Amino acid sequence: MLAVSKHYRSNGVDVPALRDFSHRFRAGEFVALVGRSGCGKTTLLNLAGAMDFPSQGEVWIGDACTSRLDDAGLTRLRRTRIGFIFQFFQLLPTLSVVENVELPLLLAAAPDPRAQALRSLEWVEMADFAQRMPHQLSGGQMQRVAIARALVHRPQLLLADEPIGNLDTTTGNLVLELLRRAASEQGATVLMATHSPESTSITDTIIRLRDGAVEDITQPACTV
Amino acid sequence: MHRLKLFHRVILRPMLAQPSRGLLTFVAVALGVAVVIAIDLAGFAAAGSFRSSMESLAGKASLELAGSTGIPEDTLGKLATLPIPVRFEPRVEEYITDEASGVVTSLIGIDLVAHAQRNLVLGDASGLEVLDHPRAAWVGAGLGRQPGDELRITIQDRSETLRVSGVFQEEGDQPGTNRVVVVDLPVAQALTGREGLLDRVEVEFPEDVDEAAVRAAVSAVLPAGVELRSFGARTDANRRMLGAFRWNLRILSGIALVVGAFLIYNTISVSVVRRRGEIGVLRALGVTRTGAQALFLAEAAAFGIAGGLAGAALGTLMARAAVDLLAATVNALYVTSTPGAVSLSAGHLAASLLLGLGVSLAAAFAPAREAGSIAPVEAMARGRRDYDVRVNAGRNALWGALLLATGAAFCWMPPVDGRPLFGYLATLLLILGTAMLLPLLITLLNAAAQRQVTRLFGVEGLLAARSLTGSLRRSAVLVGALSTAVAMMASVALMVGSFRQTVMVWMDNQIQADIYLRAAAPSSPDNYPPIHPDVAAALEALPEVAAVDRFRAVSLMLNGKPATLGFGDSQLMRTQGRTSFLPGQDRQAILTRLPTGPYVVVSEPFSQKHDARVGGTLQLPLPSGPMEVTILGIFNDYSNERGTVFGDAAVFAPRFPRQEITSLSVYLRDGVSLDAGRLAVEQATANRRVLVFTNRSLRAEAIRIFDQTFAITWALEAVAIFVAVMGMAGALVALVMDRRRELSLLRFLGASKPQIQRLIYFEAGLLGMLSNVVGLLLGFALALILIYVINRQSFGWTFQFHWPGALLLGALTLIYAATLASAWFPARVATRLNPIEVIHEE
Repeated sequence: MLAVSKHYRSNGVDVPALRDFSHRFRAGEFVALVGRSGCGKTTLLNLAGAMDFPSQGEVWIGDACTSRLDDAGLTRLRRTRIGFIFQFFQLLPTLSVVENVELPLLLAAAPDPRAQALRSLEWVEMADFAQRMPHQLSGGQMQRVAIARALVHRPQLLLADEPIGNLDTTTGNLVLELLRRAASEQGATVLMATHSPESTSITDTIIRLRDGAVEDITQPACTV
Repeated sequence: MHRLKLFHRVILRPMLAQPSRGLLTFVAVALGVAVVIAIDLAGFAAAGSFRSSMESLAGKASLELAGSTGIPEDTLGKLATLPIPVRFEPRVEEYITDEASGVVTSLIGIDLVAHAQRNLVLGDASGLEVLDHPRAAWVGAGLGRQPGDELRITIQDRSETLRVSGVFQEEGDQPGTNRVVVVDLPVAQALTGREGLLDRVEVEFPEDVDEAAVRAAVSAVLPAGVELRSFGARTDANRRMLGAFRWNLRILSGIALVVGAFLIYNTISVSVVRRRGEIGVLRALGVTRTGAQALFLAEAAAFGIAGGLAGAALGTLMARAAVDLLAATVNALYVTSTPGAVSLSAGHLAASLLLGLGVSLAAAFAPAREAGSIAPVEAMARGRRDYDVRVNAGRNALWGALLLATGAAFCWMPPVDGRPLFGYLATLLLILGTAMLLPLLITLLNAAAQRQVTRLFGVEGLLAARSLTGSLRRSAVLVGALSTAVAMMASVALMVGSFRQTVMVWMDNQIQADIYLRAAAPSSPDNYPPIHPDVAAALEALPEVAAVDRFRAVSLMLNGKPATLGFGDSQLMRTQGRTSFLPGQDRQAILTRLPTGPYVVVSEPFSQKHDARVGGTLQLPLPSGPMEVTILGIFNDYSNERGTVFGDAAVFAPRFPRQEITSLSVYLRDGVSLDAGRLAVEQATANRRVLVFTNRSLRAEAIRIFDQTFAITWALEAVAIFVAVMGMAGALVALVMDRRRELSLLRFLGASKPQIQRLIYFEAGLLGMLSNVVGLLLGFALALILIYVINRQSFGWTFQFHWPGALLLGALTLIYAATLASAWFPARVATRLNPIEVIHEE
C-alpha cells in the first residue's frame, strides 16, 4: 500500500478514516491491525480487499493496482486473490456447510468445486459437518467453516475482521491457530483486525493505528 | 397517545422510509376494493336497479292483470261493473328505438284523459287538446326533445313519426334518465297493431279494502290466458334471474381482493419478520403481547382504510366504464333494460371501507398474532421463523389436503335457493387448500429440480432456488397470490373457451337456414317484436326461395319464473335443422311426434330451472286457456338462460288469437347463391324495418355478443393478475432489502453485479414458473367446478370441455414475462447496495 489515504464525507464534512498509510505486506506474513474502534482498521481491510478505492495513494495486490481496475476487474481480483473472514461468520443460512465453502469457486466458475471445498473443510477439521446447515453449528464451528470458505480458492491475501470477536477464548485460540497455519502452510498474507491484545502474540507483525494513522509497527519475537 | 407514538416510531417511520413497498400494498388493496365496488355499482346500474322502463308512470297498484298475448279490451268493461272500489289502469307497452339517437326505450300507451284528470305526471287537463293530433306523444326529459319536435321511432318492423306534445320528469328520476315515450291508449294500440288488446292492467284499491276479496272478484270475470298477479311480479322474477348473473360477477370480482389479501398477508409478515429484533426489545421494555399484536393490526388497518377510500373512488370510475358492457349482456341474455346512472352512495363508500379494512385485518391477523407471540429472547434467533415454517410444512399440507377433500365433496352438493353456494365454497376451499400445500410443494419441487436448476443456471440458480426454500413462508405467499390469479385466469379461459366452442358447434347445428329475418325494433329474451305476416308471404312468393319457416316466440311466466314459448315448423326443423338433444334422446322420433298432439320439447336451462323431465307435463297459460303439454325431449340451447319451451305451430298457433311472426328462416332453392338470395329478400322487405342476416353473419353476430358478454370477465382477470404481478415486484424489493446482507456478502466472495442481477431474475423466474404450474393445475380443477357445478347450477348449460391452448399459452407467457419484468427494479436495487455498509451494519 503506497501513501494510502481514505476520507469519507459526513454531514458535508471530510472525515479522514486512514491517513498516508504505506506498507508492503509479504507473502506468508501474519499481520495484526490493532487500535480502538474507528481507528481505521476496517477501512484498511476494505481497501486491501479491493472493496473500496483509496482517496489518495495506491493499493497493489501482486501486480494489480486496485484504483486502475473497473468493477469487473475488482470482482476478478476478489475471486482469485482475496479471502474474507468476518466477526459474525456470514455463512448463508440457506446453504449447507460444503455449499457455503464452494460458493466462491461457483461464483468464479472454477472446475471441480466440491472436491476443493471438501479439502478445505478437511483442512479446518470440519469435513464431518459438510452436509450440516449453519444453524446446526456452534460459533467456533461456523468460524472454521468461514475460514475454509475464505481459503478454498487459495487466496494470496486473507482478510479477517475481528475473527474471534464473537468467540470464547478457547475457540478463539483455535481460530487464531488456523489463521497462523494459513499464513505459514499456504503462504497467504493474513491481515487481521482485532481488539484483543492476546491475539497479537502469534502474529508476525503488529500495526497499531490511531485516528487513521500508524502509531507504531512491531514484530513480536516469537510465534506460537 | 403513547400507542400512537409507538405506532409512528415502529410502524409508520420505517414504512415512510421505504414508500415504494407500502405504496404497492396500498395500490393492491385499492385495486381489489375498486374492482368489487365497480362490479357492484355497474351491476346495480345495469341490472340490479332493474326497474323496467315499462314501470314508468305506474300508479300505486298492488295487483296487475297480464296475459302472454294481451288482454281483450272488453275485459275492462266487465271489470268496471264489479261492485268493489277498484281503479283499473290499462296499458299497452312496446320497446322502440329513437332513430335520431339510437336510444332504446319504451312506448307506453295509457288512458291520457283519465291520467290528466288525476293531475298526474303529464300535467293537468288543460293541454289535452293536443290529443287531437293523431300522433301526440309525451316524452321523458332524458330524450332531450322539446314540445313541437318530431320523434322518429322504430317500432316492430316499421318506422313511425310522433309529435312531441310535452316533456315530463317523474318524481325520483335522476336527471336525464327518463326516456319513456307516452301516447294515448288508442294511439299505442294502432302503433303496435294490437287494436282491441291491452298488455297490462294495473289494479289499484284503497288500503282498507281486503286484497283477497279483490282477487276473488277480479278473477271471476277474467278471460282465459289472463293472469292476476302481484304488481311487479315479472320485474321481481327478472330481478331474481339477474341476481344469479350479478352474483357470479361479484364472486369473480372478489378474486382481485383475495389476491390483495395474500399481498397484505405478505406485507405484514415481512414487517413482522423484519422487526423481530425490535419487537423483542419492545417486549423486553414492557410492551404487552396484545400491544405488539395491535401495532401490526394497526398497520394493516392503515392500508385497509387508505385502500378502501381510494378503492371507492377508483371503483366508481371503473363502474362508469363497465356499465354499458354489462347492460349489453343483460339485454342479450336476459331482459330489455337501459342502464341507470352510476353514482357512489354512502352505502357503497361504507362497503368499500369495510371491505378494505376487513380484508386487511383478516389477512394480517396471523402475522400480527405471531408478532404478539415473540418472546424477547426469541427475537435474537435469525431465520428461526422460516425454519419453523419449513418444519410445519408437513402439517400445513395435511390441513391443505383436508380442505381440498372437503372442497371436492362440496361439488356434489345441490344448489341453495338456486345458487351454487357449495360450488363457490368448493372454489374457495380449493384455493386455500392449495395455498396450504404450497410450502411442502415448493420444498419437494425444489429438492427434485435443484440439481437441474444448478446445472442449467449455475450458482445463481442454486442460490435462487435455496432462497425460495430459505424464505419458505414468503415464497409460499407469493406463489399463492400469483397462482390464484393465474388459476382464475386459466379456469375462466377454460370455461369461456369450452362455452364458446360448445356454442359454435351448437350454432353449426342450429343455424341451418340460409337467411334469417327479425324486426329491427329492440329485442331480447323477454321481448320479441313481431314481423308483419305479409313479409313471410312476400318471401315465399320469391322464385329464389324454397321454404320459409315462421317462428313465433311468446314471453310467459311459468311457476313464477319467466320463460319463452316458441313454435314453428317442427318438420322443417327435423328435415333441415340439426338441433341436438341430450344424450339418449332420439331426435327424429321426438320431432316426428311433436306435431301430433299436445307435446313440447324444452331447452336444457328450462329443464334445470323448472325441474322438467322427459315424460313430465307442463301447464301452459295460453290465451285460449291453460294447456297441459307433455315434454318429449330436452334440447341443447344457448340462446338465452331463462329457458325455452318449443312446440309445433300446427298445435299452438290456433290457440293464439292473432297470428304473429317474430322471426323468419328462409331456405333458398338449390343453385341460388347466397348473395342473390339476400338481395332478393332485401328488395322484398324494403318497405319494412327488418334485420336480414345471412347464415354466416348471424353466427358472427352471435359470437360478437358472446365475446362482449365475457369482456368484463377478462377485464376482472386482468386486474387480478396486475395486482399479483405488482405484488410480486413489491415483494421482490422487500426480499432484496431483507437479504441485503447475503447479497453484499456475495459481493465480498467474488460475485459480480450481473451475477447479483441474474440471481434476482432467477428468483422471480422460479416464483413465476411455480406460480404458473400451480396456477394451471389449480385452474384446471377450478374450471371443472365452474363448468360442471357453478354453471350447471346457475344457468343449466352443459359444455363440452375444450382446451383453448393458444389462449392459455399466450396468457401464461405474458404473465411469466410480466413476472420477470417485475424483477427489473429489485435487481437494480440489489446491485446498488453498498456491501461495506451493509456488512458492517452488524
